[in-house]
This record gives sequence, C-alpha cells and structure tokens, in this order.
Amino acid sequence: MAKGVLVDLTKCIGCKGCQTACKQWNDLPATIPDFDNNLTYPADTDAYNYTTVLHRVVEKEDGQETLRFAKRQCMHCQEPTCVTVCFSRALVKSPEGAIVYDEEKCVGCRYCIIACPFQVPKYEWNDALKPVVSKCQFCFDPRGKHDRIGHGMEPACVNACPSRALKFGDRDELLKEARQRISSDSKYVNHIYGEKEAGGTNWLYISDVPFEKLGFRTDVSQTPLPYYVHDYLKWTPTVFLGGGALFAALHFYTKRRNEVARAVEKEEVAE
Amino acid sequence: MAGLAASFGRGAMTNHFNDYINTDVFLVIGSNSAETHPMAMKWINEARNKKGAKLIVVDPRLTKTAAHADIFVRHRPGTDIPFLLGIMNYAIENELYHHEYLVKYTNASYIVKPEFGFKDGLFSGAKLDNGVFTYDKNTWQFEDDGKTIKKDPTLQHPNCVFQLLKKHVSRYDIKTVSEITGVPEKVYRKVCETFAATGARDKSGNIIYAMGITQHTYGTQNVRAIAMLQLLLGNIGKPGGGVNAQRGESNVQGSTDLAMLSHLLPGYLGVPNATKHTNLQDYIEKETPASGYWKNKPKFLVSLLKAFYGDNATKENDFCFDYLPKVDGRDHSHMGFFQDMYDGKVKGLIAWGQNPAVGGPGAAFEREAMKKLDWMVVVDLFETETAAFWHAPNVDPGEVQTECFLLPAAFSFEKEGTVTNSGRWIQYRYKAVNPPGEAKSDTWIADRLFKEIRRLYREQGGAFPEPILAMDWNYDKPGHEEPDIAKIALEINGYRVGENRALDSFGKLKDDGSTACGMWIYTGYWAVDQELGVPNCQRRSTEDSGLGTYLKWAFSWPLNRRILYNRCSADEHGKPWDESRALFRWQDGRWVGHDVPDFNAKVVPEVSAETPFIMLPKGHGRLFANNLVDGPFPEHYEPMESPVTNRLSKQQNTPCAAVFKGQWADLAKVGDAKYPYVATTHRVVEHYQSGAVTRNNPSLVEVCPWMYVSISEELAREKGIRPGDEVWIETARGRIKALAQVSPVVKPLKVNGKKVEVVGLPWHWGYQGIAMGATANDLTPAVGDGNTKIPEYKAFLCNIRKVQGV
Amino acid sequence: MTIGKLNFKMTPARKVLLFMAALTLVLIVYRLVIGLRPFTNLNNDWPWGLWIAVDLSAVALAGGGYSLTLMAHILNIRKFKVVARRAMLVSLLTYIFVLLVLFVEIGRWYNFWRPFVSWGHHSPLFEVFVCISAYTLVQFVEFTEVATEKVATNWHKFLKKIMPVVVIIAAILPFGHQASLGAIYLATIDRMHGLWATTMIPWLFLISSFFVGPAVVTLETLAGGRIFNHKVSIDVLRSLIRVSGWLMIAYLVLKIGDVASRGVLPQAFSGSFEGNMFLLEMVAGVIVPIVICFSPLSNTKGGLAAFGLLTSAGVVLNRVNVVFTSLVDFLGNSYSPSWGEWAISIGALAIIALAYLFIMENFNFAGHDKHQTAS
Ligand SMILES: Nc1nc2c(c(=O)[nH]1)N[C@H]1C(S)=C(S)[C@@H](COP(=O)(O)OP(=O)(O)OC[C@H]3O[C@@H](n4cnc5c(=O)[nH]c(N)nc54)[C@H](O)[C@@H]3O)O[C@H]1N2
Ligand SMILES: Nc1nc2c(c(=O)[nH]1)N[C@H]1C(S)=C(S)[C@@H](COP(=O)(O)OP(=O)(O)OC[C@H]3O[C@@H](n4cnc5c(=O)[nH]c(N)nc54)[C@H](O)[C@@H]3O)O[C@H]1N2
Ligand code: SF4
Ligand code: SF4
Ligand code: SF4
Ligand code: SF4
Ligand code: SF4
Ligand SMILES: [Mo]
Repeated sequence: MAKGVLVDLTKCIGCKGCQTACKQWNDLPATIPDFDNNLTYPADTDAYNYTTVLHRVVEKEDGQETLRFAKRQCMHCQEPTCVTVCFSRALVKSPEGAIVYDEEKCVGCRYCIIACPFQVPKYEWNDALKPVVSKCQFCFDPRGKHDRIGHGMEPACVNACPSRALKFGDRDELLKEARQRISSDSKYVNHIYGEKEAGGTNWLYISDVPFEKLGFRTDVSQTPLPYYVHDYLKWTPTVFLGGGALFAALHFYTKRRNEVARAVEKEEVAE
Repeated sequence: MAGLAASFGRGAMTNHFNDYINTDVFLVIGSNSAETHPMAMKWINEARNKKGAKLIVVDPRLTKTAAHADIFVRHRPGTDIPFLLGIMNYAIENELYHHEYLVKYTNASYIVKPEFGFKDGLFSGAKLDNGVFTYDKNTWQFEDDGKTIKKDPTLQHPNCVFQLLKKHVSRYDIKTVSEITGVPEKVYRKVCETFAATGARDKSGNIIYAMGITQHTYGTQNVRAIAMLQLLLGNIGKPGGGVNAQRGESNVQGSTDLAMLSHLLPGYLGVPNATKHTNLQDYIEKETPASGYWKNKPKFLVSLLKAFYGDNATKENDFCFDYLPKVDGRDHSHMGFFQDMYDGKVKGLIAWGQNPAVGGPGAAFEREAMKKLDWMVVVDLFETETAAFWHAPNVDPGEVQTECFLLPAAFSFEKEGTVTNSGRWIQYRYKAVNPPGEAKSDTWIADRLFKEIRRLYREQGGAFPEPILAMDWNYDKPGHEEPDIAKIALEINGYRVGENRALDSFGKLKDDGSTACGMWIYTGYWAVDQELGVPNCQRRSTEDSGLGTYLKWAFSWPLNRRILYNRCSADEHGKPWDESRALFRWQDGRWVGHDVPDFNAKVVPEVSAETPFIMLPKGHGRLFANNLVDGPFPEHYEPMESPVTNRLSKQQNTPCAAVFKGQWADLAKVGDAKYPYVATTHRVVEHYQSGAVTRNNPSLVEVCPWMYVSISEELAREKGIRPGDEVWIETARGRIKALAQVSPVVKPLKVNGKKVEVVGLPWHWGYQGIAMGATANDLTPAVGDGNTKIPEYKAFLCNIRKVQGV
Repeated sequence: MTIGKLNFKMTPARKVLLFMAALTLVLIVYRLVIGLRPFTNLNNDWPWGLWIAVDLSAVALAGGGYSLTLMAHILNIRKFKVVARRAMLVSLLTYIFVLLVLFVEIGRWYNFWRPFVSWGHHSPLFEVFVCISAYTLVQFVEFTEVATEKVATNWHKFLKKIMPVVVIIAAILPFGHQASLGAIYLATIDRMHGLWATTMIPWLFLISSFFVGPAVVTLETLAGGRIFNHKVSIDVLRSLIRVSGWLMIAYLVLKIGDVASRGVLPQAFSGSFEGNMFLLEMVAGVIVPIVICFSPLSNTKGGLAAFGLLTSAGVVLNRVNVVFTSLVDFLGNSYSPSWGEWAISIGALAIIALAYLFIMENFNFAGHDKHQTAS
C-alpha cells in the first residue's frame, strides 16, 4: 500500500517547523543562504535541505495580495523518473512507495537531477570526495539510522507541523480525503496536485490558489516519463539478438558471395 | 496587563488557547499569532476549518496570520483606539450590543459624578505641575448615596456610564476612523458588521492581541478599548470569547505572577511604599479593599511573609514586614533604571536572562549606559550582546572599566520545573538533557548566590543584614547538587505551618501566621490529584467533557479555572447564553458544567450574578475605569512621533506618556520632512527575541539569516531600491543598515488625505552569534506608556536611503 | 624517440601537444580531488554541461567505427575495407576520450564500477554504459589484432580467428548505445523545446551517428593522408559519402515529418533562438551536405572536405541543441562552461591526438587489411 502525505496549503502558516524538523532528524548541516526577497530560506531545496517552505505573495480574486506557503520536497512519484534513470540502482522505490537514495551505490552521474520532472534532487557540489545526491527520503532509511516509516512513525516534518497542514497516510485514503475537502469547501481550486502529475505522486497537494501561482509546474507530463524510456528500452533485446543474427547472417552471406565472386573471377582469368 | 486588571480585575488572558475552538469571530489585532504563537494559530485555524469561524486580522503589515484572514485590515501603526472605539460606536448606533449583559454584568448603569467631563482631548481633572501632567481623579468617581453607587438600569441617565460612553465614541464614526487609520471605509464597515454581530447572545467573539497593542504610549488604553468592546458585546466569560492577551516568552506569565515587575510582590500584591506604608497594619488598612476577593489580601500577604521568613516571622514582629524592600516613588521600570544607570546612579547590574543591548528601546543608548557600571553579571546561555557590550562594534574595550562576569545557565530543556503559559496553565516539564559544560540551572545559581551573600553578611555584617539573615532558605536535596524543586514548589503552593502537604485552595490561607504561601494564586498546583496520583501541574489527562477545558490536564490558576469570569457565560438565572456552548447551567438547584466556577457556586445564581467579576471591589466589569493614570475611557492620540496631527483634538500625544532624557529620547517633529515614513518593529517566526538563542543555532540561522527592512513597492520605485539592496534606516536617534525586502507586505496608506508609507523592521539581530545584523532598537525611542512604562516600539518615524556605492 | 620496435618523431607541434597532455593529466587529478565545484560551473539547474555535450558529440562522431565495420566487414563491401581500419582506430580513440571525460565528469569516480554489479537496467544510461564499455573492449581487441602484426605477434593468429565474432559484436553494440544516448533525453522530453522533444530521438541519434561516421572518416582520411602520405582514392570516399547522403535524406524526411506531425514545424521559423538553432542544424548540417554529396562537388577533395566538415558540425550542433538549446527555456541560462571544463575537454583531445599520431606511425592502420586481400 503506497504511503503518502496530503499537504493542504490552505492550512500552512509558513512556520518552517517541518523544514527544521527534517534538518534535525536527518542530521543535515546548516548553511547561510543568500538573501531572498520572499524570505524563503533557502530559496530552493539544496544539498542540505530536503525540504524548504516557499513563501509567495499572491493576488486573490479581489485583487488584494496575500501570502501563501508551500512546503516542497520530493514528490515520491508512483512512476519515479529518477529511479528509472539511475543506472546503478542508487535510487529505489520502497514497498511503501518511498523513493530512497543510497549514496554507497551512487556514481554521481546526476542523471536523476536532470531527469526529475519536479527538479527535486540536488547535488552536493561543494563536497570534493563524497558528494551525494540529496532529496527527501520520506524518512525512510534502509540502513536504519534515520528511519521513521520503517518504525511505524510518521515523517518528522508531518510530526512537527503545528497546523495540521500535513497528513500522512495511505495514498488512496488521502486522495479520497482531498476530494472530500475540495468538494466540501468552495475555497479550494479543483486540482489535486500529484494525483495525475508525472503519472501520480505519493505527496499530494490541495490549495485555494492555482498551483502555477505558487511556482508549481503545472505542465508536467501526465504520462509518466519512464514510459517513454521503457517504450524504447523494450526494443533492446530485439535490436541485440535480431541485429546480431542478421549481421551474422549478412556477414557470412556476403563473405561467401565475395569468395564465390572471386573464384569466378579467377576461373574466368584462368580460362 | 494593566488594562485588563483595570477592566476585569486580573491581568491575564481570560480564556485559553484550546478554547479558541469555540469562537465564532476572531478579531486579531496587534498580534501575529502564526509567527509568534504558532500553537495558538492552530486553534484559530481549527475553529475556522471545523466551524467556519471568521478571522479578522488588523495589522499594518500583511503577516502570516493575515494570510489566513477572511478580512485583512491594513491600518496605520498606533491607530488602534479609533479603530476599536469605532466598532463600539457602530455597535451602539445599531444596537448590536448585548443589552442584558451590559446591565447585569458591567458598570454601564453606574452614574458618574456630574463634574466629570471631556474637552479638547482631555478628561476633567487635568493638572500640570512643574511640567508634569497628572489627572486628579476626583471627578471620575461614581455618584453614591454613602453606601451604594447610584445606577440606572434603563441606561438612559445622561451621566450613566453607557450614555457617557455613547457620547464619547460617537466622535469615532466610520469616516473619521477611516481617515485616521488609513483603512478604506468599505473594509472598515465590514469589520464593524462582522465583529459587532457577536453582540448576539449566542455568538462568541474573541479578541486576540499582543505587542501591536501594548507597545504604545497609550498601550494600556488600547487594551482598555479591547476590554470595553468585549464587555459591550457580552463576550467575556464565555467559551470562545474573551480578551486573549497572548503573552510572550513561554513562562512570562509565570514570571509576572512571581513578581518580575518592579512594583509587585508575588501574586500581584503591591510592593509597600517606604513613606506610605510604615508597618503591616498600615499596609493592610490602605491596600485592602472593602469588597471583592481582594479583601483577603492580608491572608495572602501574611502567608507570603511566612514563606519568606519562616519561623522568624511572628505576629509580634509584623511577620517581618519591615524586611520587605520598599519603593520610594522613583521610576524603577526598565527605562527608568537605564536612565539612572546612564546618570551614574546605578553601579551594578545582574542581567539574568535578558539581553537589553538588543531588546531595550534606544538600545545603543542602553549600551552606553552599561559602560558606566562598575560591574555587570550576565546569567545566560550565550555570550549575548549585553554580556559583550564592551566589544560591540565601534567600542574600544580598553575604555570600558566595567568588570564583567558571565555565568553559564542551563536551557529550559536542561532542567525541570513548571512553566506557566499564556492561558495560565501551569505545566510541569522534565529535564530532557544535561546542561553542557559548567552550565547550571537558574535555581542552582540563585541558591548559591543567596547562600554566598548570606555568608558574607553573616561574616562581615553590613548596613541592614537582617532581611537576608532572617530569610527562610532551605531547598537542599541531600545527595544532589541541584536544589529540590519539590520543596520550592510546595512553598509557592502554600501549606499549613508544620505540615508537609500542599494546600488545595487559597481559601484556606490565614492571616494569623498559621499558613505559609509563596504565591497565593498558584495554591493547589502542587496538591496531589487523588485520582491520577500526581501533583495537579503534572497531570496529563486528555479527557474532556466537550468544551475543550481539559480540566485534568495540568493546572490552571486560579484554582484550575479555565475561563475567567465564567459566571458571565450564563444569564442572571443561570441559563447559558448559548445552549450549544453551555459552560455552566443552573439545574435542579445546583451548577453543572465544564469548568471550575470563578464565582461563589454555593449561592443561587441571582446572587452570584451580582458580582461576576469577583476580583473587582464592585464586582462589575468596568466600561468606565477610574484607576488608570490616563483616563477612564480611551481616547485617540497620535504616537509620540507621527506624520500627521491629531485629527480629533488639539492634544497631539497622550499627556501621560513616560518620557526620558538623552539621545534615546530625541523625537522627530510632527510631520517631520527628515523622517517621513512610519516605522514599526515586529517578530519573525524563525527568531526569538534578541536572537540570543536563535542566532546561535545554525539551523535557525539558516531559515532566516539576514536582517531586513520591508518597504513597499512604491517606495522602492521612488527611491530606486531593488530587492536585496542595502539601505540606511534613519531616525532621530540613530541609523542602521539592512537589506531591503521590497514587497506588498507593506503598502502606503491614505491618512487624512495624505499618503503615508509604512516600514517594517524585525528586531532580532545584533553583533553576537552566528548571524549578525543591525539592531532595530538602535532606532526606537525611549518613550513609554504612563501606566506600565512599556516602550513605544511599534510606531515611530524614519527615513530610508539606499546605501550608495558598493 | 625509439623504444624497441616503436618510434615517435618529435616535432615542435607534438611538443606542444605533449605539454598540453601533461597539463591535462594534472588538471584531471586536480579535478578528481577538488570535486565538481569550484572546478566546473555546473549547478542544480544545469547538472550536465559541456562535458556531456562533448561526450554525446564525440560518441556520434565515432560512429565511423561501426558504420564502416558494418559496411566493410558485415556487408563486405570491398572497396570500403581500405578505410575500415583507420575508422576503427579513430573510433577507438574517440571512445577512450569519451571514457576519460566521463570519468572526470562523474562525481563519485571511485564508484564508476558500481553499475556493473548493481544493475540499473531500466536506465538508458545503463545500456550506454554497458555498451560503451563493451564496445571499447571489443574495439581494443580489433586494435590488438592489428597491433599484433607488429608486437606480441604470437597472439595475432588467435585474434584473427575470433575476428568474425568480434566484428559482429562491434557492429551491433553501437546500435544499442547510439540510440540509447538519445533515449537519455526521453526522460526530459516534457521540458524540452518542441523542436527536439520527440520520442523519435533515439532513432534520430542512431541514424545521425551512422551517417556522420563516413563524414568523419573522410575528413580523417583527407587529413591523415596529407600527414602520412597515404592516398585513398576519391572514388572510395565519394561512394562512402553517398551512403551517408542517402541516409541523410532519410533522416531529413524523418525529422521534418516528426516535427511536422507534432505540429511544431512553424516554431522553426518563428525567429526564436531555438528556431534559428534548429534551422542552422538542419540547413547547414544536413541539407547543404546532401546537396554537396549528390553534386559534382563530391568528386573534388574540397567538396569532400566540405561535406565532412558540415556534416560533422551539424551532428555536433544537434547534440549541443539537445543538451543546451532545447532546455534553456526551462532551466534558464545560469550555466556557461568554466575554463576548467574547456581545458579538460580540449586537453583530453590532445592526449588522443598524440595517441593517434603514435599509432598511425607505428602500426598499419593507414592501409587496408593486407592479410585479407593477400589471402
Ligand atoms: N517566533 C517568535 N515568537 C515569539 C517571540 C519571538 O521573538 N519570536 N516573542 C515572544 C514574545 S516575548 C512576545 S511579547 C510575543 C509577541 O507577539 P506579537 O505581538 O504577535 O509579535 P510582534 O511581531 O511584536 O507584533 C505583532 C504585530 O503587531 C503589528 N503591529 C505593529 N504596530 C502595530 C499597531 O500599531 N497596531 C496593531 N494593531 N498592530 C501593530 C506588527 O506588524 C506585528 O505583526 O511573541 C512571543 N513569541
Ligand atoms: N523593537 C522592539 N523591541 C522589543 C520588542 C518589540 O516588539 N520591538 N518586544 C519587547 C518584548 S515583548 C520583550 S519580552 C523583550 C525581550 O527582551 P529580552 O528579554 O531582553 O530578550 P531575550 O532575547 O528574550 O532575552 C532572554 C535571554 O535569556 C537567555 N536565556 C534563555 N533561556 C534562559 C534560561 O533558562 N536561563 C537564563 N539565565 N537565561 C536564559 C537567552 O539566551 C537571552 O539572552 O524585548 C522587547 N523589545
Ligand atoms: S519527484 Fe523527482 S526525485 Fe522525487 S520521486 Fe519523482 S522523479 Fe524522483
Ligand atoms: S547521480 Fe547517483 S543516484 Fe543519480 S542517477 Fe546517477 S548514480 Fe543514480
Ligand atoms: S518526509 Fe522526512 S525526509 Fe522528507 S521532508 Fe519530511 S522529514 Fe524530511
Ligand atoms: S510545519 Fe506545517 S504549517 Fe509549518 S511551514 Fe511546514 S507545513 Fe506549513
Ligand atoms: S512555545 Fe514552543 S511549541 Fe509553543 S508555539 Fe512557541 S515555539 Fe511553538
Ligand atoms: Mo514579550
């Protein structure tokens, strides 16, 4: 059963409790980010921040500005592009649906970074010798140290949220709840972000402000990108086996033909 | 807090956070709960989500709280009185007030002396002596027939409080309020409609405030305006109602209860005055009111003296009353103290968990004052700006003669004891980790310090060693280094002399020396809950009977009452105003309900209805209050620095403001062209106060590293300032540099037809810690409220300039 | 300079190359210990930059190795056998170059072997990685087959025997990875500019690598011929580029058909940066060469050289467009290569050039497979 989190942006007060809880739980070091006019620090997730709370001034329907906050982190895609493209299985999907990174296996090619449709994974550029790819692990750690989900706990960020903006549970249930919340209150926009994006993600968002105004990509392909890749890769055996056979046949055929031709030539010369 | 005490009898939040769930309409004014009280914000949002409660936020800035508001009102800093009186005017004009409540539970019907008057912005009794303004309050008294006050229950008498109020607030019509505050009339009308609607019997309106209200030269009157509005609408004592002053530090309520203020002894007993109170009898006679619960004051004081001096306190020696420190009429508030320090009158300072070098008004001046000290002791977790004032930027340590000591203290998670939250809940906390290095708990430090001082007095004598030597001080815990918290708790709670058991009620305290009690309002918090087997403050039962009072979770002073003045939740006959939120009901000859009665529950409802505000001598909520220095009603004055003249009277500023001398008290002129913008200071969720703790914590520094100033997009355009540019902020007191946040968080307002720019400054930065930045308080003026001396941090004038060259 | 049977002529130009190569090796070591930043300008928006573009281009340009293997050894088109060996050599050296740059490019280089044991077989990059590794090995075997004509000669016989199998593998492997290199970008297809965002991208990569092979071989033959005085007849080269020419026509049709069918053709003419880059890629890199190929110009050395240059540049431009142009709108322009990235890219070329010169001088790569013709 896929686990997920429902993020209700109408409830978020931008307290950054989730962000600091994540940092503490995962023993991530702190940096001093550049000034940001929105007071989003850091302005985007980075090597040492699996999650950051975006602050945005948005205009309401009546033309008045207001503030909205959106915690961003890995969406934990149901069809994760990052997992598909990782050629050393450093990124894997757990049975609970968490997309987990294992630095021991990582080559540092950064294909996952360019491939993620949500631009989530970040690279530890400044580390010379053991740079890691960094992203929310959904508090899942097969090696145990930072594991919460495996111990039946909810993620650290969810646990820290004072305003119940984050809810952890089974994705199916959360999806139902999201639909129910949207239909029972007209303030919500009728869009569950993550229901269909990238083929569906385990983190789901609902909001009273259109998602694009908050800097969410709304043009994410609904077809999971891995499909395109699978679609191509499924030809691999055909190409190799078929091509191999064909080429072998051609090789011996043309070789034979040439030999015959040469023999004929010789004969002709001899004649 | 003074405004609340003057109105209701106690200076505390009337309801509690969990009770917010019962609210219909919130009016959050001068509080940014989402950032400063996130856990309170949770309950506000809970009420909105579960019950469709409405949220009105009144703030000069678009705050994180305002982001959730149904109505967000952007007003000019310092104009809360017109804003609130205007709502009262609207409620009175449209008869939306709670008539029955007004007549029964407030002093609306009291008749004021005919000599009382109000003219040109001043109340009757104004006096100017040697440039010192005071009111003679004789004309602010009620008419009585020798024994009882004259009343008119019809509220028609022209000099009854209600009619006087009606007349007073009639000048605050929507248009006028709009012009003063800068709030568009349409928006303001909507606020009036929405909030005044809670005057209905079955509706609960909740006003939440904090520093945006109190940090003004008329802060107490701001609070009064809130209290009066709530009395008018019948919102006090009800679930979901109340005046909820969200207090600051996690235990500031506790420290105020325990006499952190210079004019109070524990439990809000006034400090005796050296000339006025020559002995115990004198004090008791002069300070004990004839009626109201405070008539028990002698019991509380004598029990306190027994706690202080133990066996040494006897009836014969006035229970050592003479040993109590006395005040002499001089100003010992924060600013008065620093003024004296600057003038060389104060020689030594113990800054114990305080960082005035960043948090005090005109902080640069306060740092100057510190240079004049002979010695300074700082008891803190970090080497704060105060501890390091001698190596602040531009200071030559060689020139500072002060001898400085820094004692490392343990943080709250590194020790155990109770914390009293804003909702008066006293909750026990256990130690999570050991303090690092040589850090010790504050109790340890206090204990050792006292014992050492006593030793020195004992061995070397001194001018007046008795108060120290006679002190009953024994909190040792054999085999432990730390003092015994249980012994301290028992003493605070109160006990019968000779017994070792905590009393369960201050009703059992005596004035004959047979009981000792360190702080009467906490009595019962250490008594053991028979069912749960732990002291009341250690209870953790989440059982609830439905209204969110959680009576078995911790202990709420007084006597575990969760909602103060809760007699007002039902009508005269004990019928709840709203059946769905029945806190109490008189049924079959007794009270049934969800709270501990804050009234005499043994008598019939009609009798307790006579004095629902038990702490006040007359027992009625005060729409008209004659015990504040600056007026029985609030009146609009401009902040000491203002871009405009007072639109309502010739009286530009409150005549009772506390003003000081020196550069920190320099003020810009009215409409000063050099300082055209209105500045206010505020907090951010990421940092705490002077930032001592948070700017030393890497992961909190990371989430908000830079000192900034919020300016409007218009102002930025005008001044060619781009986001992130470094700018100067200049006031009559000094200037600082910060990075510009260009954002519609602030916007220019239209005041009296004139455009007024508002500028927001967080005040958490200083020159110590991991993230350093300019201190906003280098800009704030040393002027304060006449009643409380709280500085005017929230409205002053400044100029903004781009820092030229890179 | 002579070591045993091998010798290397020193010229001033070669001294410069040697110096560059030495410097590059130092730089590479420096990069490996200092990390990717500050050495490169790569960042989270642009985690891939110049080195990836260089690699993609280089692998394509190395296509001559397999296209000629295919034509000379699989299809046994006799006249192409003259150039097959040198095509293979250039290809091998290019792959070594690619591997070198890749090694520098990956952040956890000491972990480069992981995918061999931890198979991310669902990734196009896995296919690329495995194929390129295998192919380089295979080409190395092909190379030793030639080298053992001169050194370690007792191995020659054995190698010669297994050649047919090796050759078949050598022909087939690139089909996998040339296409997979394109498939890498299937994962970003929803963020790419419409002119390049196509599921056809693997096949387009494959075809283009095939037709650019002869173009590179032609260039190399013309240039190498001058240096080493080995002449290959214009006739052979013209036939060679004709093969390319036909494929390019197919490519052109496919590409235009693809762009048109997705309705983005007008964007090519919108005057935007992307449109112009696309036009440049198609006109200069495909259409003009086709014209040259089927015109009398193809009978001249100049014509052949122009064809070779334009086609190669066109394919490089295509790879650059895929890596940069197609994504710049989405990712922003926060990246331009650092001097270090340039230095290693260029320096690694110097190393390869040296190897090329050395090998050409010492082994028989210029001529065709004498043994085969002799038999
Ligand atoms: N994160 C965090 N939480 C804290 C603290 C902290 O430092 N950091 N401090 C604690 C302490 S000690 C306290 S006292 C509380 C204070 O809590 P709050 O009072 O909520 O905090 P402030 O930000 O000082 O002020 C509240 C709001 O008043 C607004 N304001 C400014 N001028 C005016 C005005 O004239 N009228 C009105 N109506 N509003 C005005 C400001 O824009 C601001 O949004 O917070 C406590 N909680
Ligand atoms: N401009 C402006 N100025 C303001 C305000 C404003 O709104 N605007 N607000 C005012 C208000 S409401 C307040 S409450 C004051 C606060 O002003 P201060 O009380 O001076 O500021 P804090 O930073 O809270 O100082 C508390 C100190 O106690 C230390 N500390 C923390 N825990 C412990 C402990 O357990 N033991 C000991 N011994 N020390 C400890 C901290 O490290 C810190 O140095 O600032 C006021 N100043
Ligand atoms: S959001 Fe990106 S990193 Fe996270 S699972 Fe999806 S593809 Fe992977
Ligand atoms: S950088 Fe690491 S995790 Fe990402 S795709 Fe490459 S090997 Fe996998
Ligand atoms: S789920 Fe865990 S790792 Fe992910 S953001 Fe929340 S706390 Fe961080
Ligand atoms: S903890 Fe909750 S309310 Fe706070 S920022 Fe995170 S999601 Fe928002
Ligand atoms: S006291 Fe602590 S838990 Fe409560 S709101 Fe403040 S920071 Fe949060
Ligand atoms: Mo405070």
